[in-house]
Amino acid sequence: MNNLWILNMGFAALLIGTGIYCLLTMKNTVKLLIGIEVIAKGVTLALVAGGFARNSLMLAQSLAITVIVVDVAVIATALALIININRHTKSLDVRKLTKLKG
Amino acid sequence: MLHLLLLIGLVAFSILAILIRDLLKSAISLAVASVFLAVLFFEMNAVYAGVFEVSVVAGLITVLFITAIALTRSDVDVVESRSHLIVFPLFFLVLAVIDILVMKRLLGRIPAMVNPESGTFAEVLWNQRTFDLVGQIGVIFAGVLSVLALFRPGEKDPGHESPTGDAALTGRQPRGGSHE
Repeated sequence: MNNLWILNMGFAALLIGTGIYCLLTMKNTVKLLIGIEVIAKGVTLALVAGGFARNSLMLAQSLAITVIVVDVAVIATALALIININRHTKSLDVRKLTKLKG
Repeated sequence: MLHLLLLIGLVAFSILAILIRDLLKSAISLAVASVFLAVLFFEMNAVYAGVFEVSVVAGLITVLFITAIALTRSDVDVVESRSHLIVFPLFFLVLAVIDILVMKRLLGRIPAMVNPESGTFAEVLWNQRTFDLVGQIGVIFAGVLSVLALFRPGEKDPGHESPTGDAALTGRQPRGGSHE
């Protein structure tokens, strides 16, 4: 049980690190959202693994479901924003979003 | 062993989703990673989280991504630098080493076991996490309203200046249209 907890947490940290790398280096706006999604996967895995290790799986599942619901709302709003921005700039490049730049 | 394979598959498909250039293949890789995560949840007896992961993340979010990719068009493809193929493995290696070192230190500090929960999942969700549920409903409504606001009809789109297209959107007939 203990080794499993460590293993799950280690892989969750890898997922979160990979997502942060994507957010820091990618220029495509859809790729940035995919990075957010990968981070959310890591967080969900960490929550459920923690609940599994501490024998409180029901509470962990309810928190994981909360994370998933918030994640869906964020992704839907962000994709709608990306579609609207794409209509104006004809591009998915995040470097072209400079209208608010001082 | 199965658990380890599932974890490796999850991380591998997540990395693929980030590194593949084609956005459609990237979204599908993300869905496959979600399926791996859902199977992991089922293996850990977290059935409800697994069902949510499959239906919402692997299903709904993938559909949203594919719809968005189909609706957007880029005149010039976004060029990601080719250095990712060298930088990312190095970054991942450093991250994995740090991860292993931290997890080794954590090995002696496993969280204390609590008494097994009493009651079903529904009781825990409705009785203990009632405030979370209210928040979730608020977030869903906020998401729906923001999407509605972003796709509000009636505003002139500077990118598509075709009069027939506007007429088709608003349902009005152009001048000199059909005579019966």
